[in-house]
Amino acid sequence: MTDKHLKDHSVPASRYVAALRQCGVGHVVTVPDWVQLALHARLEAGEDGLALINTCNENQAVTVAAGLTLGGQRPVLVMQNQGFYNCVNTLRAVCLDARIPLVLMVGQFGREFDNLGQPATASRRTMVRLMEPLLDILGIAFHRLDATADLPCIEKAYAQAADTGNAVVVLVSAPLAWS
Amino acid sequence: MMNMIQACAPIAQRRPADSLLVATMGAMFALDRIEAELGLPKPANRINAVPLMGGSAGIGLGLALAQPQRRVIVVDGDASLLMELGSLNTVAVQAPANLLHVVIHNGAQFSGLANSRSPHASFSFTQAARNAGYRHAETVDDPAAWPARFSALLAQDGPVLVDLMVAPMPQQTGPGFEQSEMPDVQFERMGQEARALQAFLQGTS
Repeated sequence: MTDKHLKDHSVPASRYVAALRQCGVGHVVTVPDWVQLALHARLEAGEDGLALINTCNENQAVTVAAGLTLGGQRPVLVMQNQGFYNCVNTLRAVCLDARIPLVLMVGQFGREFDNLGQPATASRRTMVRLMEPLLDILGIAFHRLDATADLPCIEKAYAQAADTGNAVVVLVSAPLAWS
Repeated sequence: MMNMIQACAPIAQRRPADSLLVATMGAMFALDRIEAELGLPKPANRINAVPLMGGSAGIGLGLALAQPQRRVIVVDGDASLLMELGSLNTVAVQAPANLLHVVIHNGAQFSGLANSRSPHASFSFTQAARNAGYRHAETVDDPAAWPARFSALLAQDGPVLVDLMVAPMPQQTGPGFEQSEMPDVQFERMGQEARALQAFLQGTS
């Protein structure tokens, strides 16, 4: 494992924020994620036009984002994989049944650095390797944010969510860079 | 102590036409019945968080933040709110001035079906709301006083919580009166209401 290996997969938080702005995101609804700490730090310091809404758990994050969406806003959800596991029933109600489109940025907390660039399903840790099969079972489309070049997948996720009336997940593979 | 119809009728009849209402299942059935009895059309500005216990406060908060010029009323259930008690904190931190949070406090789950005991029937939601940081919280148990209090509380700056002391509905299930199959609409109506609500807010309904 080299620093370069991690850097190849670590997306700068500044570029990530720019991608969210490009998508017209106005609210970040979140339970903080270890993988996306650099994003949280930026938001807590204040980013014009990006309101930060911290919720007590991921179920509330989903319902608050649903209310914002119904009210005409474009939120993004930020959480980690174990938070996603926590809110499956709320996603079932809000997205799968009620067809309210949402985009979730889900950090792969616990992913081994030597698993980066390899299939997440090959991770030694259930936390990481269950994620993609679970999304398949739920019928929730997903993208992998494995490198800075993948950032356009966020815009694709919003288009896909609107088209399908469902949740779309962007899996954030490596800790965001603090630049 | 009031009954479910006395709890929900003032909300159906007195809320402004441009307000938004988010209800849980018990209130949803009562509001359906009140609107049918009054010959009112199904309102496009009501969404029911079903089947999703605990979800109404979050949806209401999102709507209140997105539509600050409108009053948003959440009609929660005591067992539902206990499932997501942290939502009191989530709401209070955002402090939406346009949010009224009504709790139907009947101490029962599946009210009117089995009246199973809720985990903590005597929990003080008003104390919890004050501790979380709601601007105001009070209990109302007098059905005669509730209509005027509803209008007054809705008019004041929120977030406001009102804990309504409500008797469970008469139990309908038991031996020989088994529950019937849930109809599809129970799983589809939240989506239908979501689309109607969006059309209402876009001025196209």
